[in-house]
Amino acid sequence: MSADALDEIAASDRARRASAHSLLAWVSTVDHKRIGVLYILTATLFLVVGGVEALLMRVQLAVPNNTFLGPELFNQMFSMHGTTMVFLVGMPVLVGFANYFVPLMIGARDVAFPRLNAMSYWLLPCGGFLLYYSFLSGSAPNAGWFSYAPLSTKPYNLMQGVDYWLIGLICLGVGSVAAAINIFVTVLSCRVSGMSLQRLPLFVWMSWMTSILTILALPALNAALAMLLIDRCLGAAFFEPARGGSAVLWQHFFWVFGHPEVYILILPAFGMISEVIPVFSRKPIYGYSFVAASSAVIVLLSYGVWGHHMFAVGLGVTANIFFAVGSLLIAIPTGLKIFNWTATLWGGSIRMTTAMMFAVAFLLMFVVGGLTGVMFAAVPIDWQLTDSYFVVAHFHYVLIGGTVFGLFAATFYWFPKMTGRMLDERLGKLQFWLWLAGFNCTFMVQHFLGLMGMPRRVYTYGDSPGWAALNAIATAGAVLMAAGTLVLVWNIVRSLRSGGRAGDNPWGGFTLEWATTSPPPEENFEAIPQVKSRRPVWDLDHPEVADWKTSKTPADTGWRPDKARASVWAFVASEAVFFVLLLAAYVVFNTRHTDGPNAANSLDVVRTGVFTGLLLLSSITFWRAERCLSAANQRGFLRWLGVTIVLGVAFIAGQVIEYYGLVSDGVVISRNLFASTFFTVTGFHGIHVTAGLIVLCVLFVLGRKKELNAERSGVLSAVGIYWHFVDVVWIGVFSIIYLGYLQ
Amino acid sequence: MTDWQTLGSLWDWTSAIWLVAGGVVAAYLILCRGALGARAWFLAVGVAILVFAYVSPIGVLADGYLFSAHMVQHLLILLVVPMCVLLSVPRSKAEAWFGRISGSQVARWSVVGWLSGLGVMWFWHIPSLCSASTANASLGVLRDAMFLSAGLAFWWAIYAPLERHRLAAPKAVVYLFSACFGCTLLGIYITFTAVGVCPVFADPVGRIAVLTALHDVGLSPSADQHLGGLLMWVPPCTLYVGAIVSILCRWYSTGGEHSPHRRGGAVLHSTEMKNNAE
Repeated sequence: MSADALDEIAASDRARRASAHSLLAWVSTVDHKRIGVLYILTATLFLVVGGVEALLMRVQLAVPNNTFLGPELFNQMFSMHGTTMVFLVGMPVLVGFANYFVPLMIGARDVAFPRLNAMSYWLLPCGGFLLYYSFLSGSAPNAGWFSYAPLSTKPYNLMQGVDYWLIGLICLGVGSVAAAINIFVTVLSCRVSGMSLQRLPLFVWMSWMTSILTILALPALNAALAMLLIDRCLGAAFFEPARGGSAVLWQHFFWVFGHPEVYILILPAFGMISEVIPVFSRKPIYGYSFVAASSAVIVLLSYGVWGHHMFAVGLGVTANIFFAVGSLLIAIPTGLKIFNWTATLWGGSIRMTTAMMFAVAFLLMFVVGGLTGVMFAAVPIDWQLTDSYFVVAHFHYVLIGGTVFGLFAATFYWFPKMTGRMLDERLGKLQFWLWLAGFNCTFMVQHFLGLMGMPRRVYTYGDSPGWAALNAIATAGAVLMAAGTLVLVWNIVRSLRSGGRAGDNPWGGFTLEWATTSPPPEENFEAIPQVKSRRPVWDLDHPEVADWKTSKTPADTGWRPDKARASVWAFVASEAVFFVLLLAAYVVFNTRHTDGPNAANSLDVVRTGVFTGLLLLSSITFWRAERCLSAANQRGFLRWLGVTIVLGVAFIAGQVIEYYGLVSDGVVISRNLFASTFFTVTGFHGIHVTAGLIVLCVLFVLGRKKELNAERSGVLSAVGIYWHFVDVVWIGVFSIIYLGYLQ
Repeated sequence: MTDWQTLGSLWDWTSAIWLVAGGVVAAYLILCRGALGARAWFLAVGVAILVFAYVSPIGVLADGYLFSAHMVQHLLILLVVPMCVLLSVPRSKAEAWFGRISGSQVARWSVVGWLSGLGVMWFWHIPSLCSASTANASLGVLRDAMFLSAGLAFWWAIYAPLERHRLAAPKAVVYLFSACFGCTLLGIYITFTAVGVCPVFADPVGRIAVLTALHDVGLSPSADQHLGGLLMWVPPCTLYVGAIVSILCRWYSTGGEHSPHRRGGAVLHSTEMKNNAE
């Protein structure tokens, strides 16, 4: 080959690489690895922002009676710090790691729905922008990260900060659910052959569990956000006690989401630790099945313990006892895992890399956070310590000692895979000690401050004995953590430029991501090793002592559910939770007879019954359409689908007629709680029917063009799941609202 | 009367449930003769719990006096007794009785099991029906019979006498988790609603001494309903979580994905698997 030809190839290679790294390539990417990196980078940006907010608060609290931040700005700072750290840092960074590594660890080419993945990501900066735009509106949200009503309702909060908080979080919530559905289906349907569910790497298993939690918990928040937004923008009063609403209902809804959220933030970190500790102990994890199964149990139990956040509300002794017992129970599967990790270390050939140091610190720090959590399950202790700095100390031990330390361990463990470069271990250890010291300085002392009675969320404090010194220590600790973060950023920048080359498997890792190059090529793998155990790369490197020779694991049956159907099932489950909460609100507000419009004097049951019949009939006609399509009867398919669309439109028309009648009679959403709940429930259902109709119309057009045929009937059956779901929801709505069941 | 005497007076030794229990034991002994083994203990426990649910103070108080006792009785006959009955069927007999039913049929019917298990709970707690079935003896018998049969239908998918009739582990977990969700909703409703779910308990017809004592320690009708709702919610979910743990343990040790899926799923065949691997 001539020198010119070589130059030409080199030039085109450079051009290709340049275009691959252009801004447009990153913005338009649907590659799971790039989207993972985008998630992580965005989360890091917000980590800096949220960290600065924390520092400002710590400066304010460094000395007694300080006036550095006024009370209003302080309220905004703690609200934005909490919201940012949970929704813009914690969740995205964990989703980012899951995005990057789940497909690699299960030997997949990409996630199940790459474009949906891109949409999920772009909702993150969008939500973050909305949230932070509130500063320009004159006031950032100032009602805390949980925006308790009635403080967050219009009479107590006239500025727009809370509105931005609501819209931003709805945006982020939609993105999170979409991302979770994607991970859920990816794990279920895109595993390489041999990778049975029982052989999943624990990080994948935990990400899978997290995705289930997200799918089922986020809609509870979304329902609450929608209702508060309706309160604030349309004049309803769900959460305004002065107008008959219930502030406690907000707390119920928020914590139904909020407690699983804690596990959404900690389970992936459990997964990271479960990868790092075995690799650096050069042993398989001790009690894989216990670690995995107990996480499934945590997922189940996490929905039943929200009440422990509300012991001080006055739920009644019986409810308190049950929630206390539930909360103690959930500590068992969590606590026992500590023994699994410790037993993995036991007798291992331990390498104390930075990743491993963070993992070990995780074990110690998380235990502190866990034990104080168990303390809070005891109702009298909770009554004494709630809303004090003891709570702040507790959850920071869980979220920093747990989640953040897990994330740092994962960063040092996987950075070489993501970039092809090693992070500097010396700087890593410096960062570790700065963080460990800083974190304990800041938050250990807050246990004592809480016990001494220092209330949280108050912008300053009097010069009580000991408070000034302990607060000064806490502020100094925050500075150390900030310094540690700067060291990490410097380490990353330096290593990207001149870090040592990583090679494919620098740590002697066990799982599939180490079987490809660092960084992995766009298609992830050139060849995937055979998966016959939980440690395929170990088996490949050590064929003489391969795991599958010594310990059998359940083999892969080859079952891979259809992606479209699996995703719709997950979506439907999520929407079901959303509607259950809206209906619960209806039942709560309509069990007692009130003056003014109510279901009995305002609704025409017979007329709506007829329209209900039409909607239910549409499920049957849809089923007929499905049958025709799978029998390759295109005409029959189009006919039945057309009838389905007509029936759906008729139902919506019925709803429009009903709304028109009500509005003409002055029954509008702000009239009373019956009207608010009625319009909210039926309105959201109507939106779902309309969305379904749009999809049906698209399918109809595709069918007419012969692009939807028997071979692609899976798509129709996936849409069918949604359409039948919408009907089932209406049966619930009709029974409760129109027939008065449960009232 | 002392507390002990009060408690003693609350046992209904002449309950007709003895006849039912005797009939069940006799039928078991006749049908399973020659195959009796350790599984008979499950039946013994099930029958003992059945008798306990009616003869003990739980049964007496459930009869129009205490909503929470009524709830305990429901849970015992809906969840515990049917589970014991299913587990008591000897394998050899199970093969003879149910062997001809294919696994796929059962998987499809599991939806019915789930709906009947959840459905009876929701159906019999419509306030008018709840009161009527407590006040009217024959309606009460119908309700209890429905509980027992719905319990059998519900647990069949999880503890069918033949392994191949049970749902595969991942599906079984979803089955139980969603059932837990269902009774959680009902439990939350009963716990927090302002409506008297079973009005007959709010004002018992013939007030017995123990009620006054219980009322004095704080068990008012509303606290009673509160407790009933929590009982509807937490113990069943604990039972389901226990079942899930046992299923997952089996799944990890033996590989519970019995058979490749049939509908809506794709089974990777050996060639496809190879292609994927490449």
